Amino acid sequence: MLQDAAGAVSARAVAKVDEAAVIRAVQHGDQDAFEQLVRAYDQSVLRLAMNLLRSAEDARDVYQEAFLRVYRNIHTFRFDCSFHTWLYRIVTNICLDHLRKRKVRREEPSTLETADGPVDRMDTFEHEGPHADPERSTWNRQLGDRIGAALSDLTPRERMVFELRHYQGLRLRTIGDMLGTSEEAAKNCLFRATQKMRVVLGDFV
Amino acid sequence: MTCDAVAKAIPLYYYGELEPAVEDGMEEHLQACAGCRHQLERQRALAAELDRHRMVPPPDLAAECRHELIRAIYREQVPAEHHHSSDPWSLFRAGFESLWRPGIRFTRPAGAVALVALGFFAARFVPTVPGPGNLTGADVISSIRSVQPDNAGRVQIAVDETHRRVVSGRLDDQNIQRLLLAAAREQDNPGVRVESVELLKDRSASSEVRSALLEAVTSDANPGVRLKALEGLKSFSGDAEVRKTLAQVLLEDDNPAVRIQVIDLLIAHKDDATVSVLQTLVGKEDNSYVRMRCQNALREMNASVGTF
Repeated sequence: MLQDAAGAVSARAVAKVDEAAVIRAVQHGDQDAFEQLVRAYDQSVLRLAMNLLRSAEDARDVYQEAFLRVYRNIHTFRFDCSFHTWLYRIVTNICLDHLRKRKVRREEPSTLETADGPVDRMDTFEHEGPHADPERSTWNRQLGDRIGAALSDLTPRERMVFELRHYQGLRLRTIGDMLGTSEEAAKNCLFRATQKMRVVLGDFV
Repeated sequence: MTCDAVAKAIPLYYYGELEPAVEDGMEEHLQACAGCRHQLERQRALAAELDRHRMVPPPDLAAECRHELIRAIYREQVPAEHHHSSDPWSLFRAGFESLWRPGIRFTRPAGAVALVALGFFAARFVPTVPGPGNLTGADVISSIRSVQPDNAGRVQIAVDETHRRVVSGRLDDQNIQRLLLAAAREQDNPGVRVESVELLKDRSASSEVRSALLEAVTSDANPGVRLKALEGLKSFSGDAEVRKTLAQVLLEDDNPAVRIQVIDLLIAHKDDATVSVLQTLVGKEDNSYVRMRCQNALREMNASVGTF
């Protein structure tokens, strides 16, 4: 057991060393290393953006903008925080801008434009097997709508803190660092976000 | 702890964000208080429902985004090289450095350095020759063809000169189009080629422009230029000659972004030849995303994915 834990720690350390080498190679203009870095993080960037913005098209925009910023500014990365934190800081800033703009627009269409044509927004949720009970499906659909409404009622910052803590599993201290605020402020955001959602989803949970 | 304090701490307790001492106090209270236990259960139920309704990116989205990113970076890089070289000192340095590259322009570097130097000085003495269009200036690069002294104590020097002019005009001007067609084949500067193809691509109705775009797609060494030329051929993706060239490019081009764009153009008009070329590509394609796009295209065309 102890050996397993030691193995995991040393594997993480090796991964960090490798990542540092990859980042240095990118800083020296190595395109293959850049692609390696993108591949290592792009799924988690997409998941974060998709879940925060609840739109594949917006997630696609965030992806492009975030990795282009990384490409243009990687020479300024000084290893004083992890690359993950640096990247997430970029991604969260872009997502916050999207959320703020959306607060002004407010309305979201019920379908998503994807490369394979329009898709019902609800179909991108992670639920329901192929033989789902129709009553259960209706209930799920209503709950999904209500969750969407509850999330869009949060302020962009509450939404971000909730996403990073609940879905991304980051500690509030790290979230505070990423968003340029204190751990205490992140705690308050998480509390307010949870309370608001419990009010909106009261009948369902 | 009071019920009020516990209610406020429940979300942080659930996420494991309480100080150990507060957590202990909370657990002691929860054991004794059914109401607060119910509140904690509601928190757990909320979290479970949120997990079940998590949004997930469509399966191909990451690969598509990666592909778009590569294209965006190409677009950034090529014009950057071009703009960088528009600074006169960079032009001079680039010209100077190019002398030392084997096989380009000059074969005798030492002599060439002298000639360029002469050219720069000559530019100060040779008057600008007026010509057609809006001529705004002339740098001169010269080489000496011959030196011939005569009996009167004079010397005849034959000088070959290349004048740099700035010519401006509208895109529909024939002369401007001719210059752009020449620029699209400018071997030494991918930046010039990409800018020219970008301008020409909206004029692909002209057969001359279309030929230049086809030539760029098949022969240009720079993938950024090839991608631009493909954009210009979009409205001709139904043309037999264009399709034949695209099929050849699809099987031979070494750049995945180019191959993906060619697939998009070819499948806009479905025919048996396209099915055949896509089936051939599936069998030899190394790039998983290109292969997947190819397989999807074949399925859309109700064709089998492999050849048997």
